[in-house]
Amino acid sequence: MKRRLRDIPWAVTMLVPSMALLAVWTVYPLVKAVQNGHLSCDSTGNRCTDAGWGQYKVVFLSNEFQHALLVSIKLALLTVPAGVVFGVGLAVLADKQLRAIGVFRTIFSSTVATSVAVASLVWFVLLQPQIGVLSDLFSGWFPVLKNPGLLNDHGTALSAVALSSIWANLGFTFIIVTAGLQSVPRELYESAYVDGAGSVRRFTDITLPMIMPSLLFVSIVLTTRALQSYGEIALLTGGGPNPQKSTTTIPYLIYGQNSIIHNNLQIKSAAAVLLFLISLVFAVVQFRGFEKRVHYGS
Amino acid sequence: MAADTVRGARKAGRYALLVAVSAVVLFPIWAVLMQALKSGPDSLDHPRSLLPVDLTFGTIRAAWDQGDLGRLLLNSMFVSVMVTIGVVITSLLAAYAFAFLQFPLKGPLFIAFLATMLVPGEVTVVINQKTADSLGWINSYQGLIVPSLASTFGVFLVRQMFLQLPRELREAASLDGVGHLRFLWEVAAPLSRPTLGALGLFTFLGTWNAYLWPSQVIRGDRAHETIQIGLERLKNSDISKINLVTGGLVVAALPIFVMLVLFQRQLVRGLTAGAVKG
Amino acid sequence: MRRSSSRRSSSLFVLAALGLVAACSGGGSITNSGGTTTTAAAPGTGTPGTGAASTSAATTSTVPLDSLPGCPTDALASTTGTTTISFWHGMSGALNDELVKLTDAYNASQTKVKVKLVQGSYEQTADNYLQASQGNRPDLVQMPEYMVQSIIDTKSTVPVGKCIAASKFDTSAFLPSALAAYSTQGVQWSMPFNISNPVLFYNKKVFVAAGLDPNKPPQSLEELKADSQKIVSTGAAKYGIALESGFDSGGGWYVEQWFAKSEQFYLDGQNGRQARATKVLYNNQTGVDLLTYLQGLINDKLAVNVGDNSGSGYDNLLKMADAKEPAAMTINTSASLGPVLEVLKGGQFPQLTADDVGVGPMPGPDGKPGALIGGASLWVVNSGSDAKTAAAWDYLTYLVAAQQQSEWASTTGYIPVRTDATTLDPYKTTLATDPRFSVAFDQLKASPDAPTSAGPVVGPLREVRSVLATAVAAILNGADVKKSLDNAANQANALITDYNNRNG
Repeated sequence: MKRRLRDIPWAVTMLVPSMALLAVWTVYPLVKAVQNGHLSCDSTGNRCTDAGWGQYKVVFLSNEFQHALLVSIKLALLTVPAGVVFGVGLAVLADKQLRAIGVFRTIFSSTVATSVAVASLVWFVLLQPQIGVLSDLFSGWFPVLKNPGLLNDHGTALSAVALSSIWANLGFTFIIVTAGLQSVPRELYESAYVDGAGSVRRFTDITLPMIMPSLLFVSIVLTTRALQSYGEIALLTGGGPNPQKSTTTIPYLIYGQNSIIHNNLQIKSAAAVLLFLISLVFAVVQFRGFEKRVHYGS
Repeated sequence: MAADTVRGARKAGRYALLVAVSAVVLFPIWAVLMQALKSGPDSLDHPRSLLPVDLTFGTIRAAWDQGDLGRLLLNSMFVSVMVTIGVVITSLLAAYAFAFLQFPLKGPLFIAFLATMLVPGEVTVVINQKTADSLGWINSYQGLIVPSLASTFGVFLVRQMFLQLPRELREAASLDGVGHLRFLWEVAAPLSRPTLGALGLFTFLGTWNAYLWPSQVIRGDRAHETIQIGLERLKNSDISKINLVTGGLVVAALPIFVMLVLFQRQLVRGLTAGAVKG
Repeated sequence: MRRSSSRRSSSLFVLAALGLVAACSGGGSITNSGGTTTTAAAPGTGTPGTGAASTSAATTSTVPLDSLPGCPTDALASTTGTTTISFWHGMSGALNDELVKLTDAYNASQTKVKVKLVQGSYEQTADNYLQASQGNRPDLVQMPEYMVQSIIDTKSTVPVGKCIAASKFDTSAFLPSALAAYSTQGVQWSMPFNISNPVLFYNKKVFVAAGLDPNKPPQSLEELKADSQKIVSTGAAKYGIALESGFDSGGGWYVEQWFAKSEQFYLDGQNGRQARATKVLYNNQTGVDLLTYLQGLINDKLAVNVGDNSGSGYDNLLKMADAKEPAAMTINTSASLGPVLEVLKGGQFPQLTADDVGVGPMPGPDGKPGALIGGASLWVVNSGSDAKTAAAWDYLTYLVAAQQQSEWASTTGYIPVRTDATTLDPYKTTLATDPRFSVAFDQLKASPDAPTSAGPVVGPLREVRSVLATAVAAILNGADVKKSLDNAANQANALITDYNNRNG
């Protein structure tokens, strides 16, 4: 009891830096956004009227928000499974004691260091329809690369963004899955080998279950990144192509320069709060999945 | 004999596959590098040659000069170093309180800390931009640095590390009259060096690569712009500067690739430590 | 066991995600949010088929000058030391280089004022300005033409009309249409600085190969079509013209230009200049005819659509330099002329040299010349400091002086804001040696003397253009013209109503 009280000044001193920063830059903006979300103001934000909580409903149900939600989910569906599969493929390929394997591992992890801006602009340069290298080399087989260009075609734009994301995330996925693979006890393989299990059986019966925690972690991170993708959209497509706005994700709807609400702070706040709630739903669902895995796994 | 041949063929097959896949993974970087290293007319010839011949540093030098990239690299470096130091310090302090100190409401407070992890940056930037504006921090280093100085993940990670330290250590130290700060600085922190290294590297990379927040808080002021935002400006230059962005990409990516090669082990540790967090 | 559980959890999350979407289909537009604007979305508010004559122009209103902040242009005289001002501008690439050069020369020429430049794109600069609080705004800001009403409504600037009056600044050499573009309801709000308008870029080599006169670009839309037919049928190039649908080009700004060329209003309230505009008029017959024509070019494979150009601003120009499937012509802002010639001189595109590029006036409905003022103007920000206001005005008058305008125009392709700049070197020599630089100027001077020659102003003009650009993109992809324009008009009108309710 005495100890508990004696430590208080120290605890306060040590916690205050983090707490103050989090209060100002994480908690306050959330509260303020919730409050902003039901206002309607002039473009300078000086004169406001209360638009009511119904404004959240209007924003959520609006065609633009629903569309952006759908785009965000599509992007997750395009990037997460493919990203995991490629990551596992690379990791399995490099999971052998061979000479110079370290070089290949470094190559496979190399994209972990690329920022969203670098990765996106690399693909922007490659995919440029008139002078880009991909159009120059492959437009004979894939005319869409030139006319109108992968990023300018309604049907392919989101996939092209996904391609850039998958590539950028490859290094991360590879590293995590490789770590998962290395934690699999070798004896399991040996006994399975003795039992006459083929390499496919060994993979499905031993490897896959054993690296499931890594895969789950990777999918959670990739899903989060997909739901929050802004930079790749801003740099690759600007939310376009029009008229479908095929790549306007929720973050782009909020922050994008071409977004219809770019100068309406109140609607932006409302949309941000909704993004928070959606992230929360995903977090809870993922946590449930995680909990279950821990339960069965132990 | 036959088994050896089969094994040899398999090995060769795997190498072939490794090389082929590496080529695919590296192709984007290679193609951009070749475009950046060739003179104007060569860089866009048709059909495109990706062979490393007739290389020149002209495009990269032009991007360096016109994009003011030296300045931007220094900005990114300064901001990333400051944030990294700050995060390590604030995480150490808060983690120490949660791991070694006794005080009322410790449990609920820790839960509250963890809960802030549920708020993505993409949600708070709308208002943080306004806050930065009212503080006069638009186009400033403070604006880039201060909001990132606390990391819930860092607190969590370091606390986990501290909890693994034997409790007797702290008890012995306090019998010897060693205060909290000295114990933290001389015992707990050094023992947690690998974790701190991973956290630091992770924070550094995250700050260096950040895009959304810098794009909202740095609004056209080259003196404070980070390299990531500078790249966007190069991309948006007019048609006469069409190739500059490739030069900028090389400059922006190079330091990080060097870091990757130097600190691969720490990076892997940091990332897999993240896996614990879930 | 393990596998099935995680499979269950991941399918659960996908289901939850889709459930979110499915639960709530069919809503209105996000721009209809806000308690006061529920009536704005009512369809059919546009009155199709009404031309300029039948527009119910609201009563003309003028803003009383006394109610606006003053401009103490002589305040610098009483200061000692250097007054530092910041200038936010939207010039990038070679245009930025030239502005830096002019500004460095200004800073070096005197010690009273030091100008600090802050560069963004137009859109960034506009967003930065609107999102900054009054104390964090610059002392001088460059704003594109579509921001006029929006900046007026921030009530944060000193109208340059007051500075002109206070310092007895001589504007007699200025292009009257340039000044008019930045004046509404009797107030000269800002000072034109860089004027551009769309011109036709064409490949002379292709014209020769197609048997066309390389010095006679098409003047009317009919000629444009005929020339394109000849180019495509002779195989001189794959396409006649490259079209695009960027909001500040083919999807929005050009449509405004074409309306002016047809002497039609684009907005009510006489393009919003006599009274606050309340609705768009572009879904009338003029608009339908125009977009039907453009769609026809695509359908007949005479034109290629390169999509939304607002990202880079030069996808359509690159289409002219395409090695495989080039287009012979495109429409682009005259401001790109300098940079385009510069890049072509660099030899990056062997199939198109600087000398191959011809420039003609923007083809219009009946071949009549004329153009709206595009580009940007300079706004003196009401910083509360007399010295800064005076310093901003001093620097502004430097930038629009005849000599600086001559230098500015000769490197960029912008039109000088004043006629006497054409009599000074280097612009004088540029005009004499390269007539391509005079096309935009001549086209502007030939604009009809009509109220439609002052372009539209309305608070959310940028968003209104975006909405139209979306419709234009759909039309170029084959959507029904009238329906697309009506939809866009409804959405634009809702935006305007919402804006007026909040700011009116």
